[in-house]
Amino acid sequence: MKIVVCIKQVPKSDSVKIDPKTNNMVRDNVEGVINPFDKNAIEEALRIKDQLGGEVILLSMGPDGYMSSLRDGLAMGADRAILLSSRAFGGADTLATGYPISQAIKKIGGVDLVLLGRQSVDADTGQVGPIVAEYLNVPQVTFAEELRFVDEHTLYGQRLLDGATQSVQVTLPAVVMVRSELNTPRYETPVNIQTSFEKPIDVWTEHDLDLDATRIGQAGSPTTVQKVYAPKREGRQTVQLSDDSATAVKELLARIRN
Amino acid sequence: MENQEKMAASMLHRMVREFTENELAPLDMEIDAQGDYPQGLFQKVIDNGLLTMTLPREYGGAGFSYDSVAKAIHLMAIGNASMAVTLEGHFKTLEQLLKYGDQRLKDEYLTSAAHRIFAFSQTESSGGSNPRGIATRAVKSGDDWIITGDKIMITNGGLAQVYCVLAKTEDDQMAVFVVDQDMPGFSFGKREDFIGLRGTPVGEIVMDHIKVPGYHLLGQIGQGLEIGNNAHDDARILMGAVLTGIMEHELQIAVDYSKQRKALDTPLYELQTIQEKISEIAIARQNTELLYQHAAQLKITGQSYAQVAAMAKSYGSRAAVRCGDMALQVLAGYGYSREYPIEHLIRDARAMEIAEGTVERMSGEIALKQVNQ
Ligand SMILES: Cc1cc2nc3c(=O)[nH]c(=O)nc-3n(C[C@H](O)[C@H](O)[C@H](O)COP(=O)(O)OP(=O)(O)OC[C@H]3O[C@@H](n4cnc5c(N)ncnc54)[C@H](O)[C@@H]3O)c2cc1C
Ligand SMILES: Cc1cc2nc3c(=O)[nH]c(=O)nc-3n(C[C@H](O)[C@H](O)[C@H](O)COP(=O)(O)OP(=O)(O)OC[C@H]3O[C@@H](n4cnc5c(N)ncnc54)[C@H](O)[C@@H]3O)c2cc1C
Repeated sequence: MKIVVCIKQVPKSDSVKIDPKTNNMVRDNVEGVINPFDKNAIEEALRIKDQLGGEVILLSMGPDGYMSSLRDGLAMGADRAILLSSRAFGGADTLATGYPISQAIKKIGGVDLVLLGRQSVDADTGQVGPIVAEYLNVPQVTFAEELRFVDEHTLYGQRLLDGATQSVQVTLPAVVMVRSELNTPRYETPVNIQTSFEKPIDVWTEHDLDLDATRIGQAGSPTTVQKVYAPKREGRQTVQLSDDSATAVKELLARIRN
Repeated sequence: MENQEKMAASMLHRMVREFTENELAPLDMEIDAQGDYPQGLFQKVIDNGLLTMTLPREYGGAGFSYDSVAKAIHLMAIGNASMAVTLEGHFKTLEQLLKYGDQRLKDEYLTSAAHRIFAFSQTESSGGSNPRGIATRAVKSGDDWIITGDKIMITNGGLAQVYCVLAKTEDDQMAVFVVDQDMPGFSFGKREDFIGLRGTPVGEIVMDHIKVPGYHLLGQIGQGLEIGNNAHDDARILMGAVLTGIMEHELQIAVDYSKQRKALDTPLYELQTIQEKISEIAIARQNTELLYQHAAQLKITGQSYAQVAAMAKSYGSRAAVRCGDMALQVLAGYGYSREYPIEHLIRDARAMEIAEGTVERMSGEIALKQVNQ
């Protein structure tokens, strides 16, 4: 089983500051840690490897400072790591993050399973996983709280949603976004900490990937952040759309426009 | 390379801090009340590789330097001093096997040190501070030794599987042998009902004509006291670390309480009498940390460290007891209650005025060194 785990480094404290001018996060001088849900993803990958054998590869897109989080993931027991790092990737939105990540996964080759966290705790969109799945054109399971192999090629997943659970089954290769309910991440061990320095962390730039250069970085990002605020939480009625997808899309658009 | 070592050490310290906060600190009061580690806790320590910290890489260990490990012990002791002392006992013993052991012995035994505890036993009912008074005998029989005797008050006695044993030969020379609990003639005696460090098992082993192979001798015949003293020196560095952790715990409790509690309208920390106690504890904690770290630095750079190690333990143990008393006074009635951990921190710290050489014996050692310099 060849498993890629996508990890993002997030600021340690919950007190993330936003630059009022650019509306971007101030990321200088804050200690970075692995996004908590991504630790669950690493844990799950290691358990699958313990059970079925194979390789666990960590993949992250970010500046040099992300190295320390990759090292932490290696100290949990992952086999190797790849950092997508270059000025050209900077300022990416979720689409321009998911695209190079999916191209990197294609380059790694022969990947059976891609695991991600359900969302990052700093930007919080939960979009990167689904975007990667779409670019790879493989099935996806979001919000997974339980995973089990039915056979070598089939994965059963239980999704924990607001007030409901849903059971799904996907054929590999697949992309899975995990929740913290899935497992308890292991500690790094003293021996694994030492061996993490012997495991490779490869750095790939845009030149190492087969990329459309207009779709990466800030320039390649169709969205920009205008304002950050906490949404009001209002209870709304759930509406069932028609089974026929063409009709359903029309119904949906009508509701969004209203 | 140096940078890598630093990064690895800081990862180790974060790991130990997390492990302590999640797994040990929440059980601190329970461990004291029950006088033992809860079922499965020690296995967690093993499963997370904490016995491997000092063990060199070639024996399957992590090979961290002694100063990094001392800091890890310090961090663990903030949450639970008993487990920190259990590890101290293991690590100081491994140091003696590494330094004095035959290669065959090391290959056979150190490779199991990631999941088996090692202990060092000198004390007997007839010899504590004065080890020449011991009665345990080692009698040569061909290539082997036959060991008979009774050792008491061994840190990790009963939990450990491998024991370094100080014995006297027929011609009254002192020597240390490595004895395995699986050897015929080996049995465990009683566990001490000590007032502090109540998680750490401290117990007795009984050796009835145990046949020990020749290569289980550490160093040479006649080197026994030197090895025992070296074990003390290594232990005292780590005890300085444990004591720093205990004082850090005492300090946290006193500081937190002084912020919450008011004397009429004034928070306690604004009162000079309380400030004096908090500052004393902070100074003593800092001093002990500097002492144990300095001793560890001397050790890893191949300089003599016995004197500073003795200072770390001697100063630290008295300070931690005294600071516990001051912290207790900050909390006053609550400090005197078993509901707060301070009273057990004082009992924990008190053990280290005795174990690994009494403070009186260390005063002697420190003073004579000054006089003879
Ligand atoms: C207000 C605001 C300001 C921002 N400012 C900046 C900025 O200044 N600079 C900047 O670079 N970004 C910035 N972004 C964030 C950027 O758009 C997202 O971080 C990035 O696209 C990932 O989206 P996300 O964090 O929402 O991930 P989500 O979709 O919530 O993450 C889900 C999972 O995807 C994976 N994943 C996410 N990101 C990565 C990654 N980089 N590498 C590998 N795996 C990943 C992880 O497994 C994660 O658990 C900002 C976002 C917001 C909302
Ligand atoms: C928690 C704990 C853990 C321990 N772990 C171990 C262990 O792992 N292995 C082990 O072998 N032992 C261990 N011990 C035993 C410990 O080393 C002895 O208790 C210690 O050496 C003192 O010996 P004693 O109790 O026989 O006291 P004694 O030697 O009888 O001392 C009684 C009093 O006389 C004083 N005194 C005696 N001789 C001198 C002297 N020469 N100079 C000045 N004052 C003197 C002492 O300071 C003390 O105040 C442990 C003890 C404790 C409390």
